[in-house]
Amino acid sequence: MTDSIPNQSTKSARGTPRGSVTEEAAPRATTGNFRALGLFLLRRKGALFGLVGTVLIALIAVFAPTIAPHNPLELDITQGLLPPIWNEGSAPDHLLGTDALGRDILSRIIWGARYSLTISLLSVAIGSSLGFFLGLISGFFGKWVDAIIMRLGDIQLAFPFLLFAIAVLAVSPERNIWNLSLVMGFAQWIVYARLVRSKVLSEKEKDYTRAARALGASPIRVLVRYVLPNSWQIVPVVAMLQIGGFVVVESTLSFLNLGLTPPIPSWGAILSDGRQYMVVSPYMPLLPGLAILITVLCINLASDGLADFFDPKLAKGGFRRYPLGLLPELHEPQREPLLRVRDVTTVFPMEEQVVTAVNRVSFDLERGQILGIVGESGSGKSTLGLSIIQLLDAPGRVVNGQILFQGKDLTRIGDHEMRQVRGKHVGMIFQNPGSSLNPVLSVGYQLRETLQRHHTLSDEVATRRAQEALEAVGIADLQRVLRAFPFELSGGMQQRVMIALAMSCEPELLIADEPSTALDVTTQVQLLDRLDEMRKKTGTSIIFITHDIALLADFADVFMIMYAGQVCEMGQRKQVIEAPQHPYTKALLDSVARTDVPGNQRLAAIPGDPPDPSEVPPGCPFAPRCPRVMPICREANPGIMTLGAGHTVACHLLTAKSA
Amino acid sequence: MTTLLEVRHLKKYFPVRQGLLGRTVAHVRAVDDVSFSLDEGETLGLVGESGCGKSTLAQTILFLEPPTAGEILFRGKVLTGRETRELRRNIQIVFQDPYTSLPPRMQVADIIADPLRIHKLGDQVSVDRKVRDLLQEVGLKPDWASRLPYEFSGGQRQRIGIARALSIDPSLVMADEAVSALDVSVQAQILNLFKDLQEQHNLTYLFVSHDLGVVKYMSRRIMVMYLGKIVELAPSQELYDHPLHPYTRALLSAVPSLHRKRKERIRLTGEPPKPTAPPAGCRFHPRCFMAQPICSEQEPELKEWVSGRFSACHFAMDNLAATAKM
Repeated sequence: MTDSIPNQSTKSARGTPRGSVTEEAAPRATTGNFRALGLFLLRRKGALFGLVGTVLIALIAVFAPTIAPHNPLELDITQGLLPPIWNEGSAPDHLLGTDALGRDILSRIIWGARYSLTISLLSVAIGSSLGFFLGLISGFFGKWVDAIIMRLGDIQLAFPFLLFAIAVLAVSPERNIWNLSLVMGFAQWIVYARLVRSKVLSEKEKDYTRAARALGASPIRVLVRYVLPNSWQIVPVVAMLQIGGFVVVESTLSFLNLGLTPPIPSWGAILSDGRQYMVVSPYMPLLPGLAILITVLCINLASDGLADFFDPKLAKGGFRRYPLGLLPELHEPQREPLLRVRDVTTVFPMEEQVVTAVNRVSFDLERGQILGIVGESGSGKSTLGLSIIQLLDAPGRVVNGQILFQGKDLTRIGDHEMRQVRGKHVGMIFQNPGSSLNPVLSVGYQLRETLQRHHTLSDEVATRRAQEALEAVGIADLQRVLRAFPFELSGGMQQRVMIALAMSCEPELLIADEPSTALDVTTQVQLLDRLDEMRKKTGTSIIFITHDIALLADFADVFMIMYAGQVCEMGQRKQVIEAPQHPYTKALLDSVARTDVPGNQRLAAIPGDPPDPSEVPPGCPFAPRCPRVMPICREANPGIMTLGAGHTVACHLLTAKSA
Repeated sequence: MTTLLEVRHLKKYFPVRQGLLGRTVAHVRAVDDVSFSLDEGETLGLVGESGCGKSTLAQTILFLEPPTAGEILFRGKVLTGRETRELRRNIQIVFQDPYTSLPPRMQVADIIADPLRIHKLGDQVSVDRKVRDLLQEVGLKPDWASRLPYEFSGGQRQRIGIARALSIDPSLVMADEAVSALDVSVQAQILNLFKDLQEQHNLTYLFVSHDLGVVKYMSRRIMVMYLGKIVELAPSQELYDHPLHPYTRALLSAVPSLHRKRKERIRLTGEPPKPTAPPAGCRFHPRCFMAQPICSEQEPELKEWVSGRFSACHFAMDNLAATAKM
């Protein structure tokens, strides 16, 4: 277990900040959760307004008997049709006036909140629990259970709601909260059932559900322990939104005389009463209408906000500033290189901190050269690639440095000009070819479209060029592939189409981000061959980003080893592969040499985990995992030093050696 | 040495349905007549490209997919699929993707303890102790038991997956691409862990991977699979030095290496054919660089050419001659 001992100590060093950051977002830390919710609401004013409003309305509903100044059912014909207090002829004890029968409108609206909201909540409860249960068993047990439930759902959806409501309510002797909620809620079960069913279907295929079955868990246990905890979250989100909707549905039913049996006040009932006196007293329908509007608005604002809050994608990361050493004295050739990257820093401003993904990276790329960028996940290698082509995911942006492509600074030019550069001058290949190609367009169409976007070409010429592009990547079956949709092709074939697409306009620079990781080893070799041929034919420069240094050993001309957003070593193949200077480069090279290690020996492993860009330690970022760490490494960032022509290393060992 | 697992003529076909009525138009022969045996305490490697049926083979052994034909014997007893509970106490699996193989809303302690509860092994106190011991053993801190999976890195998650598989003391663990989703630098840690655990618990492994480098380091013997069939089976070092099948040679030469020149590598042309309609004769012949007329006519059998070394190639000995010169 030699490798796991340093691993533990590094984790404990990192464990504290990580724990304190993440526990806040963890669902079980209740107090932290409330604090986080508070902070979230302060930033989202709309959600705060909605939540406060909803709580107020709920309180009014709960305490209606105490708050309401009058009995809402108390008749007094002599006081009929009084206007609200701000109009002439009003009575001081009827703030919002009275209706035709002399009942206090304010009291009726307050009591109406109680009835309307109760009906909404009950309807949602009935619809969601019925739908949740049916969706769960439909998705989990499948086969005929699923078929029956889903067909019933189809019928439910096709059946007019009003007809259903009339059929039930019109014949009931009394229309009370219960049968009204039942009618409204029941019709909604299919909405929940479908959502839950699709969630369950996807959960059922997850590896962890499969793992539970592999452990011998019974179907019921799999359902209750593994599928259910990951499927129910969709229900409250939809339910919250529906509460508002039901307030409106209830008033519609009242309007059609299908609401609560009079004289019980609900907002719908008050509204429908008021309609008859609209000309005499326009406030009568307006006030309950306003109540409905405000309530629905508040509930929707609150539920939108809460849905965002509980979205797990809002996880936050920490950030620590660290000093940088000397700037590199780069080997600068006389001729202008194709791409000159200087001091590029890319950050992701997150909720509370700014995460630096790429930290002052500089390099030159000559025409026809292949640069291999090697790093583990979280090293910033992909972010660097995306920074160059200006396709960073929000909220990432380049905050410092220059990216000079043919003398033009890509960080300074506008979106329009950048679109001209992309595709025509700089192409990109992504890791997952399946998701990078448009699934609904044929391969031929996508190729022609790309070509015609950058050049004025007739359809015929474009088709010929598309064929040539596919031929160039070694696709023999041209006609079939041109007509095929991406999903009809294998992974290797898709990746070739991606290369053809990226290369069709013969860009000067091609950025390939882990293009081979999803491919089999035999296909990987073919991919490298293709790229090499392309380079020889068109003189394209290539940036190849990967986590596997062995893959590039016989391919790249220049290597750049990245760690935690910084360059630790850069140089020619001979310098980096044959005489590596940085302990991290050495460790990477050792870790891939496993075919040379006999089975009875241990593999050279790098202890600990790849860097988390939000928790870069002070000093040298590699220090916690470094086998040759010195006290100074934990304090000062070493800065980049030049060893020989184009060979740069950021390590304190070099200064220690020369001193 | 006793035989732990024996697989005889195992087949797993998936029907391909088409049309409104769901007529079966063809079968995907994911596993097509596979036989091998696994000794107690050994590691058998299983390599092949994606889609060759290696994962299906592993899942069929666990009856996660019921076999179409053939027999699976565990400790000499034929499995019928009715004793799955007991079977799954003895055989466990570690999955490829550490991000999807752990239930996201379950605490680590529960993830590891659940198998013990399923099989009703021990009371709360002993389960808790076992969880802490397991965490320690796979190189994680016992204090992290109450954390959720998303708080861990890929390598750490894979350690949790391993702890879960080991919690019920299985005798056979199948690792289905267990390190493929990890950074190369982290793979070595996990491979070392697998080795340590094997020694301490006398585990038997079926190690499935597309990466011959990983399999070679882990295994005593290696089995190479192509389109649902075993094409070569040999002791690890011998297979690596002198493969008896051209497909193995191609796979070996494609393993990224710091020393070998790319130009020296054997190129396979084309893609693996569709498993619904495997080519006649030898399934590999359309891509084979040594193909002769006989290869498209007659399907080669998996034969023992040299003691302990099996190959399904008409020209197995020519491969031996070719690699001996290298």
